[in-house]
Amino acid sequence: MRRAFLAITGLAAGTTALVVLKGGPGAGPATAQELPAAQAPVVPGGSPAPGGAAATPSAAAPSVSATPGASAKPSAKPSADRKPASRSSTRTSTSTPAAPRTTTKAPKPTTRTVTGSSVSYKYGSLQVRITLSGSRIVDATATGMPLGGQSGQRSDDVQARYSGSSGEVVAKQSANLSTVSGATYTSTAYKQSLQSALDKA
Amino acid sequence: MTALFWLGLVAAVLPWWLATPAGSLTDTADLLTAGGRITGLIAGYLLLVQVLAMSRLGVLERSLGGERISRLHRDLGATLLVAVLTHMSLLVVGYARQERNSVFGEVGTLLSDYEDMVSAFVAAGVMVLVGVTAVRGVRRRLPYELWYVLHLTSYLTLLLGYAHQFSNGAQLYEPGPVRTGWIAAYLLVVAALLWGRVIAPLAFNLRHRLRVADVVAESPDTISIYLTGHRLNQIDMLGGQYFRWRFLNPGCWWESHPFSVSAAANDRWLRLTVKVVGKHTAELRDLTPGTRAWAEGPFGTFTAAHRTRERALLIAGGSGIAPLRAMLEELPPGAALIYRARQPADVLLHRELDWLAQARQTSVWYVIGRRDDPGPRQVMNPEGLRRLVPDLTRRDVYLCGPGGLVDESVKVLRAAGVPRRQIHLTAFEL
Repeated sequence: MRRAFLAITGLAAGTTALVVLKGGPGAGPATAQELPAAQAPVVPGGSPAPGGAAATPSAAAPSVSATPGASAKPSAKPSADRKPASRSSTRTSTSTPAAPRTTTKAPKPTTRTVTGSSVSYKYGSLQVRITLSGSRIVDATATGMPLGGQSGQRSDDVQARYSGSSGEVVAKQSANLSTVSGATYTSTAYKQSLQSALDKA
Repeated sequence: MTALFWLGLVAAVLPWWLATPAGSLTDTADLLTAGGRITGLIAGYLLLVQVLAMSRLGVLERSLGGERISRLHRDLGATLLVAVLTHMSLLVVGYARQERNSVFGEVGTLLSDYEDMVSAFVAAGVMVLVGVTAVRGVRRRLPYELWYVLHLTSYLTLLLGYAHQFSNGAQLYEPGPVRTGWIAAYLLVVAALLWGRVIAPLAFNLRHRLRVADVVAESPDTISIYLTGHRLNQIDMLGGQYFRWRFLNPGCWWESHPFSVSAAANDRWLRLTVKVVGKHTAELRDLTPGTRAWAEGPFGTFTAAHRTRERALLIAGGSGIAPLRAMLEELPPGAALIYRARQPADVLLHRELDWLAQARQTSVWYVIGRRDDPGPRQVMNPEGLRRLVPDLTRRDVYLCGPGGLVDESVKVLRAAGVPRRQIHLTAFEL
């Protein structure tokens, strides 16, 4: 998934760079302001041939060009006076990848929920969802377990012992839970799904 | 392969670069439109790569391996979706500014006045749908069947998105080398798709005519499917490789799943060992002998032939033993196998492994218990592994099992000093 974000950032940066490079003499000074280090030396060679060669690496190596692309965004705001044109194009193309990126980084201080993988076991399947505040588990629950009959009884037992804000998951803060007697499959599946949720968190 | 990819990307955007005079982009609308064109060209190119990656072309599957291809497919898919959406929004806004139209008005104009734009919008809609349902969280909540059908519709985008590129694409509209090259790329990809998905499998299956011979329970939740067919000795297969299987009975025929072959090639039967985890695998339990099977393959780089050192260490988790069991027959004597299982009943193919261990001088260790039990804890750390296999760093390590075990083992192996290129893995989803 990291590579996908890199690729998307590269796409945005590459496209912006190409447009800005072709932006012409009027856009020249604005370009130098917006894209620092990496793009600046390229601008003087505005003719198609050397420029074409220069554009290649920026489109071809997302990881490298990602940084100038991202740093172009904040610096674009103060220089709003002269060339609104190039600025708005920078914004539109970078805003798309920026949105998913914040979701991976931002949530640390607030509470968030993480869902573990769905685990099939003898009586059905379940999925554990934990709520974290920072890195601490504050709540846990399992969904999708069978409801009625004997297996339902097991579901209830496991749910009662592990889940909730006063359950064993919150108490132990790990997937290292003691197995509920008489509900081994269910317990194991619960722990497995919980572990996957913890791995993700 | 990587170089080819970047070369293609440059070739896709180059027409725009050459056709746009420097300094011609003077106002906002121009810049937006230019951005839209570039992302459009990139999206068109990525779509072709995406389809090519899924063409099951033998060359690709053998050189990259299914694991890397599917990761590539996921990452490229996300990028492609963003590229398409950016392409659309930039062009809509750009055109709207040029024509002093509102954004929604412009969408209307595009749909009514431009040729082939209705199908292009439908293609984008399909792409969004496919993209959203492919997000792991969403996908898990959907029934596999629904997801599969939705994902299949992505081929439609190739068809629906095709026309608008030529009727409206600034670089592709005029006849010339660019247009011809773009069409040629399309034809090549479609040819690859036909070859990999239709012709090669058809030839394989007409030649070998595989049928289910027997379904045997290996443990309460694992089955082995034996298959027979014609000319089995001519299947060019290595232990550890997999096929995509389609069992042709009323319930299963439309679903194809990758399963490793769990015994080395022989001229009498093929065997798959499968853990029953979902609806489809549960249905496989009830396969009746005589059912035809449609196989695509063999695929995969998880074989003894891909190792860099003489000796190997195999680490299996649960039903991950299947490909390793097949590989054991093709490894030189002196291999080592560590088999992790939660409980003794989960150990599969026990007798065969013991027999192979004797016949091929392989050391086999069964490590039973959960991750935190004393046994696994002692073994699954750098010192523990070194105690069992002192020449660890001079071996190729093959890992197959649930994702958690594979990830953990890779960490331990790296900590023990095994170079990354000596670690081979196939993880399967639980």
